Amino acid sequence: MEGAELAGKILSTWLTLVLGFILLPSVFGVSLGISEIYMKILVKTLEWATIRIEKGAPKESTLKNSASVGIIQRDESPMEKGLSGLRGRDFELSDVFYFSKKGLEAIVEDEVTQRFSSEELVSWNLLTRTNVNFHYISLRLTMVWVLGVIVRYCVLLPLRVTLAFIGISLLVIGTTLVGQLPDSSLKNWLSELVHLTCCRICVRALSGTIHYHNKQYRPQKGGICVANHTSPIDVLILTTDGCYAMVGQVHGGLMGIIQRAMVKACPHVWFERSEMKDRHLVTKRLKEHIADKKKLPILIFPEGTCINNTSVMMFKKGSFEIGGTIHPVAIKYNPQFGDAFWNSSKYNMVSYLLRMMTSWAIVCDVWYMPPMTREEGEDAVQFANRVKSAIAIQGGLTELPWDGGLKRAKVKDTFKEEQQKNYSKMIVGNGSLN
Amino acid sequence: MGVAHSHSASEEVRELEGKTGFSSYQIEQLHRRFKQLSGDQPTIRKESFNNVPDLELNPIRSRIVRAFFDHRNLRKGPSGLAEEINFEDFLTIMSYFRPIDTTMGEEQVAQSRKEKLRFLFHMYDADSDGRITLEEYRNVVEDLLSGNPHIEKESAGSIAKGAMMEAASVCLGQMEPDQVYEGITFEDFLKILKGIDIESKMHICFLNMETMALCH
Repeated sequence: MEGAELAGKILSTWLTLVLGFILLPSVFGVSLGISEIYMKILVKTLEWATIRIEKGAPKESTLKNSASVGIIQRDESPMEKGLSGLRGRDFELSDVFYFSKKGLEAIVEDEVTQRFSSEELVSWNLLTRTNVNFHYISLRLTMVWVLGVIVRYCVLLPLRVTLAFIGISLLVIGTTLVGQLPDSSLKNWLSELVHLTCCRICVRALSGTIHYHNKQYRPQKGGICVANHTSPIDVLILTTDGCYAMVGQVHGGLMGIIQRAMVKACPHVWFERSEMKDRHLVTKRLKEHIADKKKLPILIFPEGTCINNTSVMMFKKGSFEIGGTIHPVAIKYNPQFGDAFWNSSKYNMVSYLLRMMTSWAIVCDVWYMPPMTREEGEDAVQFANRVKSAIAIQGGLTELPWDGGLKRAKVKDTFKEEQQKNYSKMIVGNGSLN
Repeated sequence: MGVAHSHSASEEVRELEGKTGFSSYQIEQLHRRFKQLSGDQPTIRKESFNNVPDLELNPIRSRIVRAFFDHRNLRKGPSGLAEEINFEDFLTIMSYFRPIDTTMGEEQVAQSRKEKLRFLFHMYDADSDGRITLEEYRNVVEDLLSGNPHIEKESAGSIAKGAMMEAASVCLGQMEPDQVYEGITFEDFLKILKGIDIESKMHICFLNMETMALCH
C-alpha cells in the first residue's frame, strides 16, 4: 500500500511540475528559460569534452579534417579540356584515360550516396552513435559520457515521452473539439491556438531550440512555402512559428488519426494514395487551395525525400507549376547536439523518434526568405533551380543537381546518354567523319 | 578502423603503406569508402559498384569496374577475373592512379609510367592475349560513342580501322601489301603513346592531412 501511495505522489508531483513549467508556458508562447540554461550547460560540457579529446588524441589522428575534407580533390575541368582540347579530331587511344580517371574519381568519392547517410562530426559530442573514429581518451571523459547516458536515458527520455504523448493527445482532442464549431473567425483563431500549443509542446519534447531569422518574410496566406527536407521533424519546426496547410498522403495508424483530426479544424490537403499518382488532380486541388486567400499557406518539400542536411538536391518541378507566390525557407540543423536526419532505410519511424528523444537536443536555424514568383519566359524547372540555389546559399548547404529519388532508384538512361552524346559530338563533329 | 585502435590494425596499415604507397591517413579514408561500397562486408563484388550514380554516366563504366577484378591488374595472374576483391586489392587498383612522384629516380618514374599505361592496355585488351586487335579496339570506340544516335554502327568500325592503320605505320613502318597487322602489343602501345603526358591525364589528387593536396 505504501509503495502505491508513494508512486502516486511522485506521479502527481511530476505531472504538476510538467504542467506548470512546460505546458502552461507553451499555451502562451512564453519560455521560462529552463531550456536555455540546459543548452548553456550542454555547450560548456561539449566544449570541455572537445578540448580533452584534442589534448589526448595521438598525432596521427584524423579528427580535425575527417569531416570537412574529402578523399580526393576532383578535377573539375570539362570534358573538352580533359581530352586535350582538340576539336573534331580523330579518336585517340588516350581518350580512355580521361574516362577511367573520371570513373575512378566517382568510385572513390561520389557526391550523391554520401548525402544519404548522416553527416560526420568534427568532434565527438558524447553520444555513442556518433562514435565512429574516436578512441578512449581518459577516465574523466568516459565518466562524463556515462553521466550523459544516464541523464539522457533516465531523466530526459521519460520526460520527453510524456510530453510527446501529452502533445499529440492534446492535438487530436483539441482539433476534434474545435472542429465541432461552425466556420468563423473564432474557429480559426482557436484552431491556430491549438496547433501552436501542441507544436510547442512537441518541440519541447525534443528539447528543440529553434532560431527563426527574418520573421518579416514569414509565409503569408495564399502562398506556397517551400523548404529543404531532412526529417519529419521539419514540419514540427515550421509549424511552431505559424500555421500551414499540409500536403501529403493519407496514412493509416497514428498518423492517420492525427491527420483526420487536424483536417477538421482547418483545411489541410490530404490525398489518397491513388490520387497521388494523378498529377493533374493534385495540381488542381492545390491551385484551388491557394486561390482562396483566406486559407493557410501550403507547406511542400520539393526534394521528395529526406536528405542529410549537408546539401540540397533536385527540386521536383511539380510544386512550381501551381503558380502563386513561393516563400522559400531554409532549415539547417546543428549536428553537434543531435542528428536529425531520418535514414529511412536504416531506421523506422519509432526507432527514429527514440533516437531523437535520446539526443542532447535538436538545434536548428530557420531562415525565412523573400517571396519569389516565376518570371516571364522561365519554365518550372528553371524556377525550381532558382529557388533551390537561393535556399542552398542561405542555409550554407551545397547544391546538387541530382534527384533525391536516387536513394532508391537508378540513374535514368537519358542522363547517361547525354554524356556519351557530348563525347561523340567532339570526335565526329556533329555527324561528319574526317 | 573502429573505435579501439588495436596493435595489429596499425601494423596492417603500415604494411599497406609500404605496398601501395598511400599514407596512413589516405588508407583510412579509402577504407571508409571501401566499407561504404561493400556495405560493411570484407569484400566487394561487381554489383557493389551499382550504387555509385556518378559512375553510371561514364561510357566505359563496365570496363572500369572490370578493371578492378582483372587478375592482371591485381597482379594475381596472366588472365581471368576475380569474383570479389578485398581492401588490399582495392588499394592496389587505386595506386595506379597515384600521382607520379617526380622526386624518385628517373628509372622509378619510367616504371610508374609503364604501370599506368599497362593498366590502360588491359582495359583495351579484353581477352588477355597481349594484343589489341581491331575487334577489341572497335569495341572500345563503340562503347564511347554508343549514346549518340546520329552515328551509325559503321563509323565506329572506320574509326577503329583508321587508328589501327596509324598504329601499324608507327610500329612496323611501311607495310607490305599482304602483310597482316595482328594487333597492338604492349610495346607498340608504349611507342604510340610516347608523347602523352600521363602525369596530368591519369592521376587523382589524393588529399593528405598535413599538406592538403599531394599534387600540384
